[in-house]
Amino acid sequence: MLKILIPSILLLPSTWLTPQKYLWTTTLSYSLLIASASLMWLATPSETGWSFLNCLMASDPISTPLLVLTCWLLPLMVLASQNHLMLEPINRQRTFISLLISLQIFLILAFSATELIMFYIMFEATLIPTLIIITRWGNQMERLNAGTYFLFYTLAGSLPLLIALLLLQNSTGTLSFFTIPYLPSTCSTPWAHKMWWTACLLAFLIKMPLYGAHLWLPKAHVEAPIAGSMILAAVLLKLGGYGMMRILIILDPLTKELSYPFIILALWGVIMTGSICLRQTDLKALIAYSSVSHMGLVAAGILIQTPWAFTGALILMIAHGLTSSALFCLANTNYERTHSRTMILARGLQTLLPLTAVWWFIATLANLALPPLPNLMGELMIITSLFNWSMWTLILTGLGTLITAGYSLYMFLMTQHGQLPHHLISLNPPHSREHLLLTLHLMPLLLLILKPELIWGWNA
Amino acid sequence: MLSRLSRLGLALPRSVSVLSTRFVSQSKADSAISSTAVTELYEPVNQSGHGEVSPFAKNPDFHGFSTDPEEDVRNMKMGFFLGISVALVIGGTFIHYLPDHGMRKWARREAERLILLREKEGLPLIEENYYDVSKIILPSSNED
Repeated sequence: MLKILIPSILLLPSTWLTPQKYLWTTTLSYSLLIASASLMWLATPSETGWSFLNCLMASDPISTPLLVLTCWLLPLMVLASQNHLMLEPINRQRTFISLLISLQIFLILAFSATELIMFYIMFEATLIPTLIIITRWGNQMERLNAGTYFLFYTLAGSLPLLIALLLLQNSTGTLSFFTIPYLPSTCSTPWAHKMWWTACLLAFLIKMPLYGAHLWLPKAHVEAPIAGSMILAAVLLKLGGYGMMRILIILDPLTKELSYPFIILALWGVIMTGSICLRQTDLKALIAYSSVSHMGLVAAGILIQTPWAFTGALILMIAHGLTSSALFCLANTNYERTHSRTMILARGLQTLLPLTAVWWFIATLANLALPPLPNLMGELMIITSLFNWSMWTLILTGLGTLITAGYSLYMFLMTQHGQLPHHLISLNPPHSREHLLLTLHLMPLLLLILKPELIWGWNA
Repeated sequence: MLSRLSRLGLALPRSVSVLSTRFVSQSKADSAISSTAVTELYEPVNQSGHGEVSPFAKNPDFHGFSTDPEEDVRNMKMGFFLGISVALVIGGTFIHYLPDHGMRKWARREAERLILLREKEGLPLIEENYYDVSKIILPSSNED
């Protein structure tokens, strides 16, 4: 565990001490080395137990894929940000990279935490670098509003979580993941217990996001610079899912009825946000809403708590992390060339940038859950377990799958096919950097087809 | 909506009533035969370096990493090597050769072995009770 955490922490002094000329090369190289080393976490000998243990940090088949995804994402963020930060003064470049590294550190600590309060503190801590990245390096005036929405939506949910955790700590004396499955349920008055249940889950539902509380997401994703969008879409949303998976263990008898409205809201959100995607004019907003749609399915899967649903949720979280991040990188390649996110201004790009069109194609196919990609496997497992739970959900999930395919195709056809608009007279060809970035996103996704048991979580 | 205004058309000058159309001739003005060649709609703007200069202009081998060509190539090589050869290939090989992830193959073999054993001995394949019933101590019913 420390083999990865200490080098990540030491990346911070290395960004400040590296000479300017070598800054991006060294940051990229070291973060790729850390990412390669983080693959050791996948060597879990047993299925359900904790591995790589020490008193404070451990990894488990649920947290391992998310940890590897976090470590994998840092070099990708460095690659993606390199171009747009080139013109800034060197100290600001170093600050930006330090913010990305600190996000990685907090996320490693969050996913490997063995104690709920540690998880909570790291969950909150990730807000600060993300807020700074969005509000300082975002490109439009709306970034201030976006930062406010992002911060306060999440805080509004997580302060009740703090109270709930402190209550639990007070009554049981411990919040360690090793012992909370064996705690007797804290039954007090029914009303207080329901409040406590809601308090525990609200923060994670807002983070996921659940459909009713999702408004922060399109703003934050759209206004953030590319690295901010990547880390938000790929990992920070999954913090919500992971937190829910961990905390549902202690919420036992109540979850049966109380989760119904949230499951329905999540499934309704899949359809609603999918439909909104079909009407979007802003490319990044389309990808952001598609994130809400996929995460709605994940939220519904986690709330029904069956083994297949958990597995499906975990697979979809990892697959969606890679896919969504790839799509944001592709949207950024458009943005860096045309300085606009409007979709109709950058159409027919297949004629002009055919190599990038290949990446668009693969990323779009992944987004619409083409078999045998893990996106489909996750969605299918969630849909089947939801069907098992109640056959009426099939209408919602089936419609959702249809609309997902619809807006993914819409996005692809709008950006790639059709006639090139007259005002695009010269666009720079794709850089090797961009090809590397997209390869490193999509190759792991394709390789996961060959060994999906890495991301199956607890399931056999 | 504009077509409704054409009721007033004859009273207004022609240029006002046909507001939405614009005629742009694309053939050369002096040619007797209309040619199919399209003349430039937009003149190339000479910004004298004040506009956005493509990095490919200075360095045709720009890889996207840095304006300094040597550092650009070095960054590209490090990125591709560590990203693809080390992380994807060596990492992928490591993952491929991981022994029996989650003990799934072991579980299957063990189940097959136990089933063969129990069928041979005539024992039931699995006991009805998960726990040993004699070890469960229940409280007597007259305590509260």
